[in-house]
Amino acid sequence: MFSSSTSKAQCKPSLVIVGNGMATGRLLDEIITRSPKRYTITVIGEEAQGSYNRILLSTVLAKETHYENIIQKTPQWYQDNDITFISSTRVTDIDRSTKTLTTETYHNDNFSDISRAQLQYDELVLAVGSRAATIPAKNQNIEGIFSFRNIRDTQNIESFSKNHKNAVVIGGGLLGLEAAYGLASTGVTVTLIHRNKWLLNRQLDLVAGDMLKKVMAEKNITFVLGEEVVRFDQLMNANNKASLSGIELTSGEYRKADIAIIATGITPNSELGDCCGLEVDKAIVVNDYMQTSDKHISALGECCQHKKSTFGLVDPIWKQCESLAIRLTSLHLQKFKNAPVATKLKVSGVQLFSAGIVESSEKTQTFTLCDNNARVYRKLIIENNIIVGIVLFGDVSSGMDYFELMQNKTPVKMHMPELLLGAEYMLDEKIETENKVA
Amino acid sequence: MSSDIIFTDAVEAKEVKTTCPYCGVGCGIKATIANNQIISVKGDTSHPANLGRLCVKGSSLSETQGQNERILNPTVNGKKTSWDIATSHVADKFQEIINEHGPESIAFYLSGQLLTEDYYVANKLMKGFIGSSHVDTNSRLCMASASAAHKRAFGEDLVPGCYEDLEKTDVIFMVGSNAAYAHPIVYQRIIKAQKNNPQLKLVVIDPRATATSDTADLHIALKPGTDAYYYNGLLMYLADNDKLNSDFIAQNTQGFEKALNTARTQLNDITAVAVACDIELSTLIESYQLFANNKKVVTMFSQGINQSSTGVDKGNALINCHLATGKIGYEGAGPFSITGQPNAMGGREVGGLSTQIAAHLHYEDPGAIDLVERFWQAPNMTTKQGYKAVDMFQAIDEGKIKAIWIMATNPVVSMPNANFVKQALKKCDLVVVNECFENTDTVKCADVVFPATTWGEKYGTVTNSERRITLQKPLLTPPGQAKHDWDIICNVAKKLGFEEAFNYQHQSDIFREHAGLSGFENTYSGYKAEEISDKPETPQGVSRFFDISAYANITKSEYEAFKPIQWPVNKQHPTGVARLFTDNIFNHESGKANIISVLGQLPKKAPKADQLIMNTGRIRDQWHTMTRTGRTAKLMSHADEPFIQIHPQDAKRFNIADKQIAQLNNLDATFLGRVQYTEQQRIGEIFTPIHWNDNFSAAAKVSALVNPITDAICGQPEFKHSPVKISPFNAVWSGCLITYKTLKVDTDYWTKIRASNSIKYILSDTGSLPTDEMFLKALLPDIDDWVVMKDDKSESIRIAGFQDNKLLCFFNASTNLNEKYSTKFIEENINQTQSIQTRFKLLAGIDSDAEDIGAIVCSCFQIGENSIKASIAAGSCNTVEELGKQLKCGTNCGSCIPELKAYFT
Repeated sequence: MFSSSTSKAQCKPSLVIVGNGMATGRLLDEIITRSPKRYTITVIGEEAQGSYNRILLSTVLAKETHYENIIQKTPQWYQDNDITFISSTRVTDIDRSTKTLTTETYHNDNFSDISRAQLQYDELVLAVGSRAATIPAKNQNIEGIFSFRNIRDTQNIESFSKNHKNAVVIGGGLLGLEAAYGLASTGVTVTLIHRNKWLLNRQLDLVAGDMLKKVMAEKNITFVLGEEVVRFDQLMNANNKASLSGIELTSGEYRKADIAIIATGITPNSELGDCCGLEVDKAIVVNDYMQTSDKHISALGECCQHKKSTFGLVDPIWKQCESLAIRLTSLHLQKFKNAPVATKLKVSGVQLFSAGIVESSEKTQTFTLCDNNARVYRKLIIENNIIVGIVLFGDVSSGMDYFELMQNKTPVKMHMPELLLGAEYMLDEKIETENKVA
Repeated sequence: MSSDIIFTDAVEAKEVKTTCPYCGVGCGIKATIANNQIISVKGDTSHPANLGRLCVKGSSLSETQGQNERILNPTVNGKKTSWDIATSHVADKFQEIINEHGPESIAFYLSGQLLTEDYYVANKLMKGFIGSSHVDTNSRLCMASASAAHKRAFGEDLVPGCYEDLEKTDVIFMVGSNAAYAHPIVYQRIIKAQKNNPQLKLVVIDPRATATSDTADLHIALKPGTDAYYYNGLLMYLADNDKLNSDFIAQNTQGFEKALNTARTQLNDITAVAVACDIELSTLIESYQLFANNKKVVTMFSQGINQSSTGVDKGNALINCHLATGKIGYEGAGPFSITGQPNAMGGREVGGLSTQIAAHLHYEDPGAIDLVERFWQAPNMTTKQGYKAVDMFQAIDEGKIKAIWIMATNPVVSMPNANFVKQALKKCDLVVVNECFENTDTVKCADVVFPATTWGEKYGTVTNSERRITLQKPLLTPPGQAKHDWDIICNVAKKLGFEEAFNYQHQSDIFREHAGLSGFENTYSGYKAEEISDKPETPQGVSRFFDISAYANITKSEYEAFKPIQWPVNKQHPTGVARLFTDNIFNHESGKANIISVLGQLPKKAPKADQLIMNTGRIRDQWHTMTRTGRTAKLMSHADEPFIQIHPQDAKRFNIADKQIAQLNNLDATFLGRVQYTEQQRIGEIFTPIHWNDNFSAAAKVSALVNPITDAICGQPEFKHSPVKISPFNAVWSGCLITYKTLKVDTDYWTKIRASNSIKYILSDTGSLPTDEMFLKALLPDIDDWVVMKDDKSESIRIAGFQDNKLLCFFNASTNLNEKYSTKFIEENINQTQSIQTRFKLLAGIDSDAEDIGAIVCSCFQIGENSIKASIAAGSCNTVEELGKQLKCGTNCGSCIPELKAYFT
């Protein structure tokens, strides 16, 4: 570490952050609130815009809001906070011995005009996120197949779907559902293909998955569950290019489709760490303080791996930013603890809440509440008198209370089944009916 | 515009005086009526029986009115028809059966809830015109013993005392009477008397501790059925301690020596009495002293003594002591049999029993048959007693009786060995029933059903326990084609060809004839010689004290203005008589009372080792088989399930759990009731209420377990003592079902309870807990919007059924049998519309005080729209950031920020 007390006015240490996603946006906030003047900060982002809220991309696709409303860091913001933002630029090499980066900047869309540069760093943060996972289907590099990760993907989908109205979305996780909802809202007919037996199968059970399917079906989205795409079919379009015309499924069934979005999950971008010799497993490995195997290089967000876990949800990543910001701006340290996290989602207007295990077993007792017409389903899984699983669909009231009870391992059996209806029923003892006969 | 023009079609409410339909106290009530509706009911301050007071049943009479479940049309074999066809059908069938099997194959079974005029024409038709003496009444089940004891002692069925005696006495004995529940207003007068006169002593003799014994100075919890031993013991005590009234014995009684010796043969001394009755010797003596040392003693007795296989003997043993001490015929002294039903006395006055002819005249009184035959000009006068109630249904079963006409009572529920009665009726060629309410158990066995008027529509006289006759007036017009019972009987009588003898136009015509018969050739010697000058020298006729001949020429308007009065009412006593025997003259040839020799006898059937003695009786807020009181929620709040009161030691012996369901068995009938541990119960004896039946509970017809053992003299069944087996009811689950209408529930145990605006069923079953709403769908096919909360180990399940978001059904069951919960919140929500979002919270069964935060905007922190709007309205937040600081919304994943912004534009 460089010494902080300097005799002459030495220039501040330089902090370079590679990647300009949501994690970087949050990290900058955490650093600025603690000591804005400590570093000269440079952010290098592949995309043109400042960091923006990727979760809202589906609402943009659904034309419920516009791109500018989801930008969290405008160019003006960077200027006001003396942060140099180098957009449309990738880092291609890191020389750890001289602590210098090599960058490539693209000055037009078809990557024909490229300029390179070198950049010194005292502290380097890798926040390069992840990319859409690939699927083992044949004939993928044809026109009409998109991932749904960033603004460019959204813009491409938006323009392509203007005259391609028969879409298929592959992946029944949150991203796939959001993409399907976004497209369907603009009048595109959408078919969603999902490998498992029910949607959001890691957060919901069969009943809740089925209810979600009913809700989304009302937005005229049709579902094909328990199937995968084995081959994309193509036709030659007007300008003699191969373009998507249909898909073939594991069951052999063929469906026409002229636009496809692949949203089956994410793969961490760990190449940059790999090429400069950092320790990499499923992603760039970091310790409890977000430090990689090089103590001047940190990593966080979807590109890092802490103990055995990688990350896709907002809550733990926010804790990583806090831990890293504290280390970079003060002398004390705060461990990043990857505590279990409750998944709180809003899919096409439906509230979901899920934590802990989703399926019952021999050792558990499961309490369920099902109101089909109100599209409300609530489930608590109890083991040895404590909550080990929460699934709430349609009405998520008391979700955080249950989550707290789960984490604190509070005994709950005597409050069942009323507790399932809401924490407000937990405190009341069952009312004793007075002994009726005199 | 003149002031008397009003702009409403509401009619001036008018007030009508009448009497309460329930117990034998016979309280006077003032009902306010408008637009054929009872607006309110108050106690009639001017009526001597209750002086303005009313018990909870009387005061909630207006809540029991209503046309639902009323029988509106005559039906023959289930098909609605006209009065003409139905009465012709009955008359023709009667005639056919008479021609083929003789008049003796016809029977009538009447009720203490018929009015005196109904009783008179029924009795007259059968005993004088059809020619069958098989006319009995449900009073056989409650008053036959007392009536026979009075006849043996006084020569006539006379209740000497009046309610005022209870307020003007030194000691009150209450034997076999839980007046607090069965005669609440008489009980309230006793309580008031205790307050006004601290010296007044109240002694309660009852094996069971009850609400009545709670306020007693002395409670003698004697062994069941040993009352005769107690009173024979008292007779000996009085003799041994020189407490007799030898002058009275010599001049006014017969049979004292023989009775005393008979008593001594069984009990050599007082300690033997204490042993026989299983009570402390000191308590026994203390009670004997109270009787012996006070001039004014009233002994009130009821079903505890009457409903026994030796009920008549017990009654006489008690009366013997009053006669042996002359404690009778003056204020504050005498035996006082209190009647169960409102007009049991009316029935006894008319003679509507198979053991009498009419008006206190008996087949065995010389000249009585001829007297009545001449008065009625009867074509087919009967000459001997008929079947008593239990024998009557036995005779039906044996085919001796081919047709029975049942009026205003529910024998399929109230008769002992009730299931046998049901089979007997099924075998009977013709079962005719007069009834006001649909689907009583007896109506279900009827071939012909006549819609009868009920209380509030009936018009006629009733007599209460203290011989006071009151006119019960109509308040409402009868619904549908309902007719008065006397009108129906007269219709059939005319169709049987007895046109001229049953051509009554109005109740007063019948009452006038009834009064006439009471005075016809009445040679009661009790009248001073000079007063009976208009009687011929050689008195031809029969002496009876019951004489209301003052009304032998009563006009219709005098009848309509009839004021409550205690009979006799004749030339000698134009203003009625408060107390009888003030002249110590009794109605035997000798003019003396008989002291009857009585041997104490225990109940016929002793319990086997594995049996308990079942005692049955009333509870405070219900009446008979709940046909009327079961219609209002208020009367269900005191006790809402059939129950079994058992001593904890007995419960332990048979491993019966408290507050759970238990099963009683006898005569291959079953009773299921909620167990109540109570020390008030003697060991070896249990108590069950008489009110529940197939309409209100799965297996609660308690009288189906009562052995058909009767008193040899009067035929009254031994309701108070039936050995039964008890066993646990192995419930797997219990719960409740609350809905908006009556359902045909078929769990092993169920009880229907009328709630404020819904019907509640308490359920329990030995099968497995239901796992979904299928069984409810079968009961309520019109509901297909269900909310279900359950667990996969099948420990509990709650289901709510909706229609257009209205809660129509709520079911809550669990395998935890001790689970307690209040259903009041749900009862109030039945039929109420719910919000689709929060309706699932109803399954908590209680109100939630959780604040309604509105639709959720920020999922991360569960912040609802209402909280956001409230903060903005409070002016403390003008930007999304400030909102975030105050409520945290938008400060985590930020995806709700666009929505938050919208609140500011």
